[in-house]
Amino acid sequence: MNFWLFLSLIAEMWKTEMFLKVQLPWNVIIPAECLDAKGLMLQRSIIIRLLDAFSNKKATQELGYFLAVTTLENIGEGKVRQHSGDVLFPVVFSCVTFKLFRGEILDGVVHKVLKHGVILRCGPVENIYLSCQKMPDYRYVPGENPVFLNEKLSKIEKDVVVRFIVMGTKWLEAEREFQALVSLEGDYLGPLSD
Amino acid sequence: MSGEEEGKTPRSSKLGMAKCLMNCEVAVILEHKYEQLQQMSDDPLNQVSQVFEKSLQYVKRFSRYKNPDAVRQVREILSRYQLAEFELCVLGNLCPETVEEAIAMVPSIKTKGRAHDDEAIEKMLNDLSLIKKFE
Repeated sequence: MNFWLFLSLIAEMWKTEMFLKVQLPWNVIIPAECLDAKGLMLQRSIIIRLLDAFSNKKATQELGYFLAVTTLENIGEGKVRQHSGDVLFPVVFSCVTFKLFRGEILDGVVHKVLKHGVILRCGPVENIYLSCQKMPDYRYVPGENPVFLNEKLSKIEKDVVVRFIVMGTKWLEAEREFQALVSLEGDYLGPLSD
Repeated sequence: MSGEEEGKTPRSSKLGMAKCLMNCEVAVILEHKYEQLQQMSDDPLNQVSQVFEKSLQYVKRFSRYKNPDAVRQVREILSRYQLAEFELCVLGNLCPETVEEAIAMVPSIKTKGRAHDDEAIEKMLNDLSLIKKFE
């Protein structure tokens, strides 16, 4: 018997920003040998496989990063798959995901300071780039601990919290992650005292 | 991808529903999940994905309200103001102190035809800061 998990993801997405609560139908396949188990064991088996697959999936372009399953809404009737004898269970569950949207304003932490800009991190997104061109009035100050400094001596350096606006995002299929380009152009944007 | 441009500013969805969560709400959910894992396993950190761990760290750090009751109150109060889901969440996350700042963070609350005059926005911000005071 084949011991594999087939996932079919049809998302009904509620389009908003940042943390989304999404209800998803997924298909969980249980190999025939596990089907002898009684009701609760079978349900447990389905849930475990679902959580595993959910965690491994990491992220999708449509929904963003998968954080946690919140409720199991329904486990439907199993359908036998003709060629393998495994049984497919349609499962509907709710979960929380994270996604960045263009135009959104949020806080991130400086991870690296480079000559032409800084790399920020925000939740599960580790590749957020803030170009020096988008840091009005800040200039690069090299050194062992390089910083960006402005006239009012406001500092952008490693581990500083910065409020930025998202200019755009990009989905990297191979790595299954997002990148983002952000800016400090706008009122109330820039480093914050934590 | 049909129907949605990558990274486009969110609008209310085709379904007419939008379910967005503030950082503090996510913190409550993820912390609860983490506690469940702690009870089930000796090594909970091994059980969670990098995505989970980084997200938990982030929402704990960037939650303005820590107490679950306060978190509920924030949602309840903001819900009285006819805001779109994402507007509610940005306000709950960034906690602007002035009307000017609120409009800068969420420009859409001031667009033509919306019922939010400065007075209403100011009242909303006051309500939010009261929750913080008594948290």
